[in-house]
Amino acid sequence: MGEAASSEVTQVAAATSSQDPEVGLAAVAALRGLVEVLEALQVENARAKGWSWQQIAARLGVTKQAVHHKYAGRRFGFRR
Amino acid sequence: MVQRSEHARRVLDLAREEAEGFGHRYLGPEHLVLGVLRDGGSRASRALETRGVELAAAREALGRLADGGVVPGPRPSDAELLGSLGIDLEAIRRMTEQAFGRTALGWAIREATRARGRGGGRVPRTPLRDPPLLITQALYHAGEQARALGVGVVGPELLLLGVVTDIQTPWPRCMRNRWTRQLHASVGLPEDYRGAAGPLLQAFGVDLDRLGGALLAELEAGVP
Repeated sequence: MGEAASSEVTQVAAATSSQDPEVGLAAVAALRGLVEVLEALQVENARAKGWSWQQIAARLGVTKQAVHHKYAGRRFGFRR
Repeated sequence: MVQRSEHARRVLDLAREEAEGFGHRYLGPEHLVLGVLRDGGSRASRALETRGVELAAAREALGRLADGGVVPGPRPSDAELLGSLGIDLEAIRRMTEQAFGRTALGWAIREATRARGRGGGRVPRTPLRDPPLLITQALYHAGEQARALGVGVVGPELLLLGVVTDIQTPWPRCMRNRWTRQLHASVGLPEDYRGAAGPLLQAFGVDLDRLGGALLAELEAGVP
């Protein structure tokens, strides 16, 4: 990473640690947007490999009902 | 189907750069106006310039709209925000694509951000997708005008005409829902945002009817 880019990241990091809700909450929202996509990918992958909702829920740390409610009946669009 | 010309695609790319330059994390009709001006040389940009809308002045006017809260001020990008948490967005995108393929990633993005009737969607947007495109109405109107004129390709003139028609036409009901409000809020836009090209052109006293008429006359006179 270049010096300028590194300095930019440090500045943003400083902004986050300055407890500015505008930046801190935006960072959390970005993180949530990332996590939701990765979760959908991994759940679909697990289902494609024959995992049960119970097994998936256990790994995600949620109830079977929660993961089933969120993902069951969805139009899984890819099978590798 | 109406295609966009190479010229129109360049204008869209420049509009994206303008949005980026303002630190805006969405693409709106106001950026399209700046894109047309920055591209220069088209009949669309001349139509704006003859009405006193020059690139530098238009950028300043958009800056004033940001100061007034009509559009947001500069915001860090998702990559910067995640970088501040020690997360390399590009590395995640690259590794996910390698592991699951681009099709699977595209599907997961659509699933995660898809609006649903019951309980709404999951997240309004994700860093793995490009910034929201809030110019769909302008593009729709540009396409409709192209069909009405019997033109097969949308160029900068039709893009600008689409923006003008968008300003003059209320957004359809389907674009005034909780989902849209959430999406707008997530990029720092006011809930009632309907594009800021109207206020931008208003700052120069542009008569939209005359501008639209001039663009239509240009289009009817020649090939786009």
